[in-house]
Amino acid sequence: MRWLLVFCLGWSMFPAHAGETAYTVRSTDMKAKPFTDAATLASLPVNSRVEVLTRKSGWMQIKNGGATGWVRMLNLRFGDAAAQRKSGDSGLGALFNVAATGGSGSTVSTGVRGLSEEKLKNPSPNPRALAELRRYAVNEKEALTFGKSGKLATPRVGYLPAPAKEAK
Amino acid sequence: MNGKLVSVLFLCCIASPAPAFDFNLDDLGKTLDTLKKVQQATTDINEPKEIKLGSGIASNLLGAAPLLQNQRVQKYVNSVGRWLALQTERPGLPWQFGVLNDDDVNAFAAPGGYVFITKGLLAQMRSEAELAGVLAHEIAHVLRKHHLQAIKQGARASLFAEFAEHALQEKAADPALAKLVSAGTEIYARGLDKNDEFEADRMGVVIATRAGYDPYGLPAVLQTLQGMNAQDSSLALLFKTHPGLNDRLSLLDRAMSGQFDRFEQQPDHAPRFMTVMNKTGILVNTGNRR
Repeated sequence: MRWLLVFCLGWSMFPAHAGETAYTVRSTDMKAKPFTDAATLASLPVNSRVEVLTRKSGWMQIKNGGATGWVRMLNLRFGDAAAQRKSGDSGLGALFNVAATGGSGSTVSTGVRGLSEEKLKNPSPNPRALAELRRYAVNEKEALTFGKSGKLATPRVGYLPAPAKEAK
Repeated sequence: MNGKLVSVLFLCCIASPAPAFDFNLDDLGKTLDTLKKVQQATTDINEPKEIKLGSGIASNLLGAAPLLQNQRVQKYVNSVGRWLALQTERPGLPWQFGVLNDDDVNAFAAPGGYVFITKGLLAQMRSEAELAGVLAHEIAHVLRKHHLQAIKQGARASLFAEFAEHALQEKAADPALAKLVSAGTEIYARGLDKNDEFEADRMGVVIATRAGYDPYGLPAVLQTLQGMNAQDSSLALLFKTHPGLNDRLSLLDRAMSGQFDRFEQQPDHAPRFMTVMNKTGILVNTGNRR
């Protein structure tokens, strides 16, 4: 029993994905290490089924057909390729949700969820909580100390323009 | 001169009962003035008013979901948030970050520097960089005044102009403000413009990177949510009010297009995040997706 507890605690400290299924949304190289110039182990075609082990920045460590390697994180989506194509995206998920709950934006709150649409449409202010929120605020000096404690660099990076397709 | 202005001018002309060119120049001037005021209202709302409006909306949101009663978590989220805000063009706003004690998966921003994240979303994260990515997305909404624009589009134009024009009242009730606060709260149930969300995604990645974090925190959270069961009721409001996660991920992928490789060594501070979260009872994602 004690070992089970120790195991669970240890497990919860480990921010891994631990064997979740994902699929490739385009053909992608599987690398030996999470770097662009690392050796290529295999080339996975689109819709390859993989098992995600962990993430390191923009890379996912995966298992595919017995081999382990790294692929660009954004070349993957979680789940089953066929199921994803069926449910689609672009808000279709939301539509299904509405259909599933039988409402059209006026879902009756069950009392379990606080953030119901009803409460947002007929709001009642909470000035006490607002005052409490203010007490948690961190000032500029404290924030700088925090950044320093995490050895966080501050590189200069410009905002990104919208990709061409987005502008309609 | 834009289309609306032209059509109003045209209407002024044909509506004049007197000979066509006998219209009163003063009246025309006034009409133009009013039109200009309405059009500039978003930019004309000064910072104190923006904060006042935001605090009203924040208070309403807190009426819908209470704050998580955990000072350590609240302080931690404020530290990450304020550190991020310092890397932006509005470092001096009175930024306030709050964790809502709600299992719904969502995050919200209100004008003037209010940012909220639900316990349910926090529970899906694995590192400080992921938290930073989400907070930075919300910070971007504040920076670009996306909510003010949405309120302006939804509300009667004159209401917005009235609030922009009148002196801020400290004690007396301001009916225009009250209506705008209600309208602003309702936007959480309706959502912002799709392109505003995409813009906040792109800015969020940049702000997190500027603050020294692994740039892939925000995409990673979006990907985690993409992997959740779409029928999960805790995602219903987020899905209703945001563009699809596949679209968001694809657009981020294209916008980032290899430019962030050189920042991949920046820390994600997963251990620090886990240490703070582990003692809270907030379920942190450990790979066993529920």
